[in-house]
Amino acid sequence: MKNLNFTCPFCSLLCDDIQLEVKENTLKPLNSKCSILINSLKKKINEQFSIINGKKKNISQAINELSFLIKKSKSTLFAGMGTDIKGTRAALDIIDKYKCIIDHFSSDTYVKNLKSMQETGGFFLTLSELKNRSDTIIIFQTSDDVLPRLFEKYIFSKDTINNLKKRKVVFIGSKVPQFLYKNKKLINVEIIKLDSINLLNFISSIRKSINSKDSEAKDKKIFNLIELLKKTKYGSILWSISELQGDVSDLIVNEINLLIQDLNKFTRFSGLSLSGSDHILTVNEVLLWQTGFPIRTSFANGFPIHDIEQFSTKKLLDNKEVDLAIWINSFNEKKIIINKKIKNVLIGIPNHPQKNDVDIFIPVGTPGLDHNSHLLRVDKVVTMPLKKVRNISLQSVEQVLNKVKKGIVNSDN
Amino acid sequence: MLIVITKLQNARIYDPINRINGKIKDLYIKNGHIIDKPKHGERISRTINLKNKIIMAGGIDIHSHIAGGKVNLARLLLPEEHRKYLYSSSEKLRSGSGLGTCSSFHIGYKYVKLGYTAVFEPAVLPSNARSAIIEMSDIPFIDKGTYTVLSNDDFLLKLIQKKTNQKKINDYVAWILHSTKGLGIKIVNPGGINAFKFNQRALDLDEKNKKYGITPRSILKVLTKSLIDLKAPHPIHVHGCNLGVPGNVNTTIKQISAVEGKPMHLTHIQYHSYDNKGDKKFSSGANLLAENINKNKNITCDVGQIMFGQTVTASADTMSQYRNHHFAHPKKWICADIECDAGCGIVPFEYRDKNFVNALQWAIGLELFLLIKDPWRIYLTTDHPNGAAFTAYPRLIKLLMDKSYRDNEFEKINKEAQKSSVLKNLKREYSLYDIAILTRAGPAKVLGLNNIGHLGLGAKANITVYNDKKDKEEMFEKPFMVIKDGEIIVKNGNIQKVFNGKFYTAETDYDKGIEKEIKSYFEKYMGRRMENFKIQNQELWDYGIETENIKCDRNDY
Ligand code: SF4
Ligand SMILES: [Zn+2]
Repeated sequence: MKNLNFTCPFCSLLCDDIQLEVKENTLKPLNSKCSILINSLKKKINEQFSIINGKKKNISQAINELSFLIKKSKSTLFAGMGTDIKGTRAALDIIDKYKCIIDHFSSDTYVKNLKSMQETGGFFLTLSELKNRSDTIIIFQTSDDVLPRLFEKYIFSKDTINNLKKRKVVFIGSKVPQFLYKNKKLINVEIIKLDSINLLNFISSIRKSINSKDSEAKDKKIFNLIELLKKTKYGSILWSISELQGDVSDLIVNEINLLIQDLNKFTRFSGLSLSGSDHILTVNEVLLWQTGFPIRTSFANGFPIHDIEQFSTKKLLDNKEVDLAIWINSFNEKKIIINKKIKNVLIGIPNHPQKNDVDIFIPVGTPGLDHNSHLLRVDKVVTMPLKKVRNISLQSVEQVLNKVKKGIVNSDN
Repeated sequence: MLIVITKLQNARIYDPINRINGKIKDLYIKNGHIIDKPKHGERISRTINLKNKIIMAGGIDIHSHIAGGKVNLARLLLPEEHRKYLYSSSEKLRSGSGLGTCSSFHIGYKYVKLGYTAVFEPAVLPSNARSAIIEMSDIPFIDKGTYTVLSNDDFLLKLIQKKTNQKKINDYVAWILHSTKGLGIKIVNPGGINAFKFNQRALDLDEKNKKYGITPRSILKVLTKSLIDLKAPHPIHVHGCNLGVPGNVNTTIKQISAVEGKPMHLTHIQYHSYDNKGDKKFSSGANLLAENINKNKNITCDVGQIMFGQTVTASADTMSQYRNHHFAHPKKWICADIECDAGCGIVPFEYRDKNFVNALQWAIGLELFLLIKDPWRIYLTTDHPNGAAFTAYPRLIKLLMDKSYRDNEFEKINKEAQKSSVLKNLKREYSLYDIAILTRAGPAKVLGLNNIGHLGLGAKANITVYNDKKDKEEMFEKPFMVIKDGEIIVKNGNIQKVFNGKFYTAETDYDKGIEKEIKSYFEKYMGRRMENFKIQNQELWDYGIETENIKCDRNDY
């Protein structure tokens, strides 16, 4: 038995303050109650076979079979993409060469951030800026589901470079998260209850008042908030796209980005999108630097074509626009979409409940548990190094895909 | 082991470090390096006849933004720019897109096709270093290195505020270099980016940062001294105060006097050479600055020339970028405050030859090239992609080498700008020897790298072979052959084989005692552990990155 310093790979906060007790490959966090962390480490791995058409096979057979499928396929989709930097690089190596398409589990919501960024831009900050500088924090409809320890680590903490007094936290949205009430001692909380439609109007009204000199807001709530914004020295705005109501969420995000730009005319403000489940930010960064485009990009023509609508996993599968879907998820057991009319492959953790429903299943380890890894934090600036902590001989996504690629190349010759 | 010796014969060689100015001379390559001549009994296995060709060492770009968070943000902001430039994959090459913020593999392909074999990323924030270096491992061919940005980090500013002794600051600087695997240290708008976080909108050299009560001058002095005390390979690399502000040439000159004769590299001086005379309150300060640099032999610089067309500006200088966002074209921009280090700002930009300011910026850059006399102290850059993409270098070289072409181009720009520029009167034309200094020998020397930038004994066999053409743009645009580490990688513009270059880092030493304070700073304020900030060699090796560690023993400070 030993105790290790551990960096948690299970959300894009990548907490590195975890003490981990390691006993014959069972892992127990000693100093954190984060529910995602505890649940993720609870899972016992009982078997780690590959499966082809419902039959247990060894991994090299499964890899060969996958190489064969990719070679035969007219159009392959890499879906899910729950992997790290190296896994993404290995995937892109194949995707580029064999003219595939790439999407991610969290794209449906994340592309709304993307769109706003492509149209407007924005003003952003990183976690330690939030922690050390922000005297006012505006939260648009965000629970603590996405990044459970964000508030504990970066907002409630007392130690700040700028010796901030009790911060002002304004929650604006419909479902008020309990943890804000629970921590009332640490922050000054104010709640403004609004549903999504009203939220959109609300932000627009704030912007209007800010941008026109003579129109003073009539609505008391808006008036008070603007007074607070004016008094703020360095404010931040947090939102979580997946928790905003679907049909207007892209408009809301765009208004938020514009609001932040407006606020900087007289004081300092910046924003942080709390998106990024299943490490879409990591995948997206690699994709951007290697190809110039973000997620939802096809290489079918031999060069990258990026289209947010056209290359959505659901659409491609529903319309049978691909004949092979390769799902990758090395972090959790998230459900995958299976269209029985095409070939389906899952490169996933050994316990995945759908492993018998796909044509090929290849087990892989989890970054930061079974192999060293790098993942990007929610602010996209910090890449965290993660170290292997257990030894149950599971391969990484990178290792599997590199072998798959070799398999295709060899069968070429 | 089979020893392969290659002989390059009959070419005219321009190798300023070895004072070879166009002499016809044979070169021998063995194990990726230049040798004097084969030893007795060693056989030459390959002879390449390069009659009528011109040879220089592989080009070195001392300042080009090729990786890191800011470049990826720019890619994200501008899908339309990437759709304009699409590159197909092929048997050997990856697909890609973009020009100013070209995708990683194609940065490597494009650079070597221009005959460049070493490029330095000049603005890596400490917190972003790991990301940037991993990204750079996907840029093939070229040797690389980074300058780590200090001068706005709360840790350093606090040290200076507390009047900490120079020794301890040196330890911190060395620790940062070591932990982030930097080759150099870059100053960006010293104290200004930090001040902007406290809503200060401008900060002149002697103005105080509101929070820390210290001036840019004090930061500049302390860091300049640090690198000298550390005998670092490259002196302090400075992006000064007031970038882009009319009248800033006076600040730049004050900055030169602030370092009191100590070595300093001023980067993209074009953006720091503006005077505020005339009706438009914008005029050239090139002459003023050039005179000053000519006198102060401790100063080196690169120009950051602008070229007309669409590009994107990307900088750690949030204060300046925010100020400039009004000029965004297309109308969108991104800024960020980053990790108590510094920040970043992305503003797309179109330089137009009929616009007074843009036209004059273009002329000012060229004036600087022509008025600064010593080619060993000025280097060719466009501050890629801020002034233009590096692919514009051949045209820029033609502007420097060919006065009649330059005059022709000058006639096309905004008439008012023509009136306020002396460019037409400057007769100087750069020679091939000068160009070899500007693009190879000079950068190698100021970076403290002894094995590149020349073709003498022991140098890496990084060699560019040009066709001798009258049109210098054509000549430099498509070298006849490019050799990297002794291997032919480009022939007639076609890539032959792909491999990765080396990664230069500075090998520093520091008192380990400094880590105690940094460790608690990280845990208390940064919300992560110091151990996970420090980049380990193993991490680099995992990405196939081979480092070349440069000793801190520069002896000409
Ligand atoms: S907040 Fe995220 S990174 Fe931190 S312990 Fe929980 S799941 Fe892990
Ligand atoms: Zn620059």
